[in-house]
Amino acid sequence: MGQPSMNTLKVTLPESADSQALPQGNIKMSARDVKVFYGASEALHGINMDIYENEVVAFIGPSGCGKSTFLRCLNRMNDTIDSARVTGKVTLDDQDIYDPSLDVVQLRAQVGMVFQKPNPFPKSIFENIAYGPRLHGLVDNKTDLEEIVESSLRRAGLWNEVKDRLDAPGTGLSGGQQQRLCIARAIAVSPEVILMDEPCSALDPIATTIIEELIDELKGSYTIAIVTHNMQQAARVSDRTAFFHLGNLVELSATREIFTNPQDTRTEDYITGRFG
Amino acid sequence: MNTSRVDGHTSQAFDADMNEIVNKVLDMGSLVTHQVEKAIYAFIHTDADMARAVISKDDEVNHLEVKIDEHCVQVLVRRQPTAGDLRAVIAAIKTIKDLERIGDQAKRIARSAIKAAEAGAEADRAFPEFEMMGTRVVRMLQDAMTAFRNHDAQEALQVALQDKAIDSDYESILRQNMTYMMEDPRNITRIVEMTWVGRAIERIGDHARNVCEYTIYFVKGRDVRHIDDAQIEAIVQGR
Amino acid sequence: MKTTNMMPEDQLDLAQKRDRMQQRVKASLKRRHAQEKRFKGMGMAAVVTALAFVTLLFFTILSKGLPAFWQATLTLQVYFDPEVIRIDPKPEKRSDESEGAFQQRYLAWQTQLGFVNFNRIILDSLAREIPEAPEYQRDALRLVTSGERFALRGLVEKDPSIIGQTLTLDLLADANVDVWMKGNIDRNLPDAQQQLSARTRAWVDELQARGVIKSKFSTALFMNPDSRSSLASAGLAGAFMGSLMMMLIVMFLAVPVGVASAIYLEEFAPKNKLTDLIEVNINNLAAVPSIVFGLLGASVFILWFKMPLSAPLVGGLVLSLMTLPTVIIATRSTLKAIPPSIRQAALGIGASKVQSVFHHVLPLAIPGILTGAILGVAQALGETAPLLLIGMSSFVASVPATPFEQSTALPVQIYLWQGNELRNFFEARTSAAIIVLLALMITLNALAIWLRKKFETRW
Repeated sequence: MGQPSMNTLKVTLPESADSQALPQGNIKMSARDVKVFYGASEALHGINMDIYENEVVAFIGPSGCGKSTFLRCLNRMNDTIDSARVTGKVTLDDQDIYDPSLDVVQLRAQVGMVFQKPNPFPKSIFENIAYGPRLHGLVDNKTDLEEIVESSLRRAGLWNEVKDRLDAPGTGLSGGQQQRLCIARAIAVSPEVILMDEPCSALDPIATTIIEELIDELKGSYTIAIVTHNMQQAARVSDRTAFFHLGNLVELSATREIFTNPQDTRTEDYITGRFG
Repeated sequence: MNTSRVDGHTSQAFDADMNEIVNKVLDMGSLVTHQVEKAIYAFIHTDADMARAVISKDDEVNHLEVKIDEHCVQVLVRRQPTAGDLRAVIAAIKTIKDLERIGDQAKRIARSAIKAAEAGAEADRAFPEFEMMGTRVVRMLQDAMTAFRNHDAQEALQVALQDKAIDSDYESILRQNMTYMMEDPRNITRIVEMTWVGRAIERIGDHARNVCEYTIYFVKGRDVRHIDDAQIEAIVQGR
Repeated sequence: MKTTNMMPEDQLDLAQKRDRMQQRVKASLKRRHAQEKRFKGMGMAAVVTALAFVTLLFFTILSKGLPAFWQATLTLQVYFDPEVIRIDPKPEKRSDESEGAFQQRYLAWQTQLGFVNFNRIILDSLAREIPEAPEYQRDALRLVTSGERFALRGLVEKDPSIIGQTLTLDLLADANVDVWMKGNIDRNLPDAQQQLSARTRAWVDELQARGVIKSKFSTALFMNPDSRSSLASAGLAGAFMGSLMMMLIVMFLAVPVGVASAIYLEEFAPKNKLTDLIEVNINNLAAVPSIVFGLLGASVFILWFKMPLSAPLVGGLVLSLMTLPTVIIATRSTLKAIPPSIRQAALGIGASKVQSVFHHVLPLAIPGILTGAILGVAQALGETAPLLLIGMSSFVASVPATPFEQSTALPVQIYLWQGNELRNFFEARTSAAIIVLLALMITLNALAIWLRKKFETRW
């Protein structure tokens, strides 16, 4: 079968019965010919991708393949890097998120992010969650705020563990709890999409399992894009998996397809450990 | 695209594990093929000694199956194979199951051979058919294992299609035997035994076909069980 | 596939190899340990040497300076003779008179008071202890430092009702009396080389024997401004006030400006050639000798802006300029040390750049910024050279009330006293001033440490 050349993009949605089993609802986010430049070098070579509502899509690929860079395009976190420049079009509900008239602050309230290293603010657990809603003026009084804090912590499966010590510093929690706190903080502002950048890479296997369980529960209400180095994790949590290589999206298809019968040699070589 | 490599991993130990699985399966395949060959020979030539040798050697086949199974489980646990590797391991696990069944059928034929020898049977006019059918099935088995070794889906498909010829051989033997039974009711016991042998060879053909289907699954990534030949052909040719 | 199986001889070989390795490692251990010991020893020696020098410094300063806090003091019965102090009653503000008119009347009264001969009062008091004092007025008046007559005048001005009363007062002895008593001058020197006449020296010894003159703890060092006529009552109050004002100016000028520019440069400024240039220049500025800042202050603030000479305002401005790079560099390095994950967390939840800096980064940076600022201020406090160039080395005999008045500063005062002709007396005084300055520095540093501990948050 034909090798796709490096620069032509090949998004493979399997034509067979498998693709029909996917949760192909409405397109939530979509990227068209997205390129990212760091200074003069092109880090992403024109990515096209649709992300559907309430699906979990995993981005895998070797280090430096551009998966994190692409993830950061989805809520314009690349804006914070001086030398980074993004071209192409990214839409959220058909709204171009790089439109100058769109406020990035509003975008980030809609597209939340969870980072690789748990990064709670060095403040109390309550303050960690309350920061977002306060920032965006989502609440009018303290009761509302307390309600949001409780429901966010409940959704993140952390409420029972911390309800007696909401005033304790968030940094005093264990790594896994901190990461769930960060997820709770992200969902406190009711985003539509949650981006996760290797959320479990700093956690032990048990904490990882809990987070994965949480992702599974959250996907009922949110669209989730997750970057992971752990292929088994991608296989466990995601509906679809995208394989990035050298700044290209090599293959995007149903997770079970990718892990049993990938279409591209590069994908196969990567997931079976034949790279290098 | 060569999706059916089992080597070339970054981890050489992984390569070694995969190679060992494939080699063991091939070993088992050739052992089982010999068993079938000898069992049919023993039946045709009423060679009770050879038949006994076949029966005693079946333990070795069973033992091999257990060992390969164990090895596959270890690979699953330690390597968590994906894609082609995963399909290779799954195909191996399934192949050895069928090979073990083939071994059982060979044992059954050998038993019939012993019975025939004890009954003092002489070379019969029915045996040329058995010889032809036996040669066909042994050939099919050999080819199936070759296809497995070479990750050759085309070959596997060709071999799988031969199962039809064996089925029709069996049908013709069946019809012939019915005629014999009607001719002379005293022959019934012996003819029934012969029918059982024919049935065993036909089953071996089915198992050989299964092995070919696993090879196609391993190479093409598609499960081709329980679909018609045209579809299988499309899958093997396609992509 | 590689075989990892080894022939027996290979294994033997390997065992021998391992043995040899072990031997070598053992052989090198001794050398390594010796090296480590040597290094440790050198480190310890360096620390001990440094500690020894610090101890020596403190010992010298303390042993020299502490006696200066105790000064020869005469305890005398002072009779405020109405015959001598002939003045009108202290004017009271009448309800029908204007503020100006009252001021005028009060000034007139003060002038009247100024004409009173308080030396007479002191002589009379001395006469109670030394009957022959009135005969040798010059010698007698050398006993009490000249500033004390103004102290007596101050008492009367404060409360005229003491006129006619006899009070027991401690009067500071003259600096030379102090020197004589402490043995800081060779008693065997001939009269011509002695600062006090033979008669005065005899009186001092006699009064000391009777307990009239004693070494007493004196607050003069803290309460009085510098003095040249009455050396014994020369104090640090003026210099201290001057330094305090300058520090306040530095704190309210250099710290906010420095912190603000550091935040802008670190968090908001685009990284380009211009900001690189600014950064390099700030780093260079931190290395510019402080006297250059003094020159700058003299030419810009005094010659160009026509600001007053010797004023703490100018000193404060100059020191602010000097401290600014320190504060900026300290603040920037603190901001750099804040983990970027905190910024990302804030941005990821929808905070703007400014919000992420002011809600999260700055609060975490406060201990570091405070430490940097306080150390900068402490550095400014100890600075002498630039102040010399803007006229703060002049002799100022008053405590400044505003930053526009003439003043001096603690380190400059130390420099001035160090150069005073009456070495016997001022050597101790200088050390005492150094003690005060050091105490202030240590307090500031302690404050920096305390603030750091108090605001420190772990993340």
